[in-house]
Amino acid sequence: MSPYYYLGIFAIALAVSIISLLAYALSTSQNTHIPKWRPNTSPTHLLVVLGSGGHTAEMFSMLRRMKLDPSKYTYRTYIVSSGDHFSAAKAVEFETLYLARTAPAPAKDATVAASYTIVTVPRARRVHQSYLTAPFSTLQSFWACLLVLRGLHPDQKPLPPQMISPYPDVVLTNGPATAVCVILAARILRLYHLLVSLVPSTTHIHTPTSVPPGSARPTVVSAKYQLRTIFVESWARVTTLSLSGMLLLPFADRFLVQWPTLGGKQAWKGMRKTEYVGAIVD
Amino acid sequence: MKKFCFVTVGATASFHPLIQAVLEEKFLAALHRLGYSHLLIQYGKDSRSVFEECLRKYAPGSPNRHGIEIDGFDFNHAGLDKEMRLTQANPSKDLSGGCIISHAGSGSILAALRLGVPLVVVPNPTLKDNHQQELAHELQNQGYVVACNYQEIPSAIDRVEALRTQMLSWPPVPSPGPKQHRTLEQVMSDEMGFLD
Repeated sequence: MSPYYYLGIFAIALAVSIISLLAYALSTSQNTHIPKWRPNTSPTHLLVVLGSGGHTAEMFSMLRRMKLDPSKYTYRTYIVSSGDHFSAAKAVEFETLYLARTAPAPAKDATVAASYTIVTVPRARRVHQSYLTAPFSTLQSFWACLLVLRGLHPDQKPLPPQMISPYPDVVLTNGPATAVCVILAARILRLYHLLVSLVPSTTHIHTPTSVPPGSARPTVVSAKYQLRTIFVESWARVTTLSLSGMLLLPFADRFLVQWPTLGGKQAWKGMRKTEYVGAIVD
Repeated sequence: MKKFCFVTVGATASFHPLIQAVLEEKFLAALHRLGYSHLLIQYGKDSRSVFEECLRKYAPGSPNRHGIEIDGFDFNHAGLDKEMRLTQANPSKDLSGGCIISHAGSGSILAALRLGVPLVVVPNPTLKDNHQQELAHELQNQGYVVACNYQEIPSAIDRVEALRTQMLSWPPVPSPGPKQHRTLEQVMSDEMGFLD
């Protein structure tokens, strides 16, 4: 037997074990429920991914219907794609006309202006762009999304000082192409922190189950419950998932659908199922 | 009293057959028979010529118009809320309840549902991934809208009057029962891990 034979067997075994490990990690992660640990008064960071016309309109329709509470979701980041002035304008309109009005009176002028930011990332693929160059622009877009999640994108103002971690707590999206990049980037960051926490180290910090309010939490610990991802399939999707939806089915922590026929779908056996929640747009 | 029929093709794709269909004499006759006085058409960025071409058949005051006042515009970047409101019954502005005829874009459908104006949804058959058709028919089954092809618009406008008397309100009220769905607020709260 040639040594290449063994090498081949080894490579295949390695690939299979890596893939099954990842699949196992994804399914455990999807089936983990977040414990109730966060005091209602603690500062939080919500990241909303906006998309072209219809997606953005539906997103703000949902946020209005749920009566997004700015005292609960204290800081908000909106991701828009380059050239999408409609979405950026809608985000400003939502913040200034809707949220500022519902915010308690003393918090108005000073804090509201500083409590959100709009970040522009490059498009994964522009209309009429060749499929040959699309992978490169997708990578560029993906990299920008990683920067946003880590709080390092040039468009971002420094987060309020009470935020200990640069990571958003929850990522909410309803399916433009950029959403795929953002959710994958969030999962990669979480995987990174999971792997880091597995490595035994002498400076390992003891993980407290409950954090006394006001104390500094190590980022590694808080990352465990951060970067949670929620994908809402468009209300316009009645019997089939969108392309973004199909791609994100194994990756989003929560996958909400608005029509009954889409409920109960899963990426593969053992994965979390999509949740039918009825129409949540207004 | 004025009675408006507002037609919208949206901002994204052009929909020439819809514009042509609502400018056919058969349709104008149906509007007249049902007491409409105005037809307002949002025809989209690249369809001005189609609109004007169709309108050429009807000289002002010609009997082919059936007394309907016809007007059109390409698009309004501030949104179509003002135009849609013309179809709402409003005695103080001398408006009786009209209807909206719309392409099957979710934004336009939701806007009309929110206003509580009877809506005719016409899916655009030239769009490749036609999930719009399913949405239109599902909403019709549930009693929210009238759905039809662009060829059937003159007869669909009759069904509007039936819809007007028994329209359901939007957003849907969750039916009381053992099976309550989680709301978006609850799902976000779960993931945040907020203490109750």
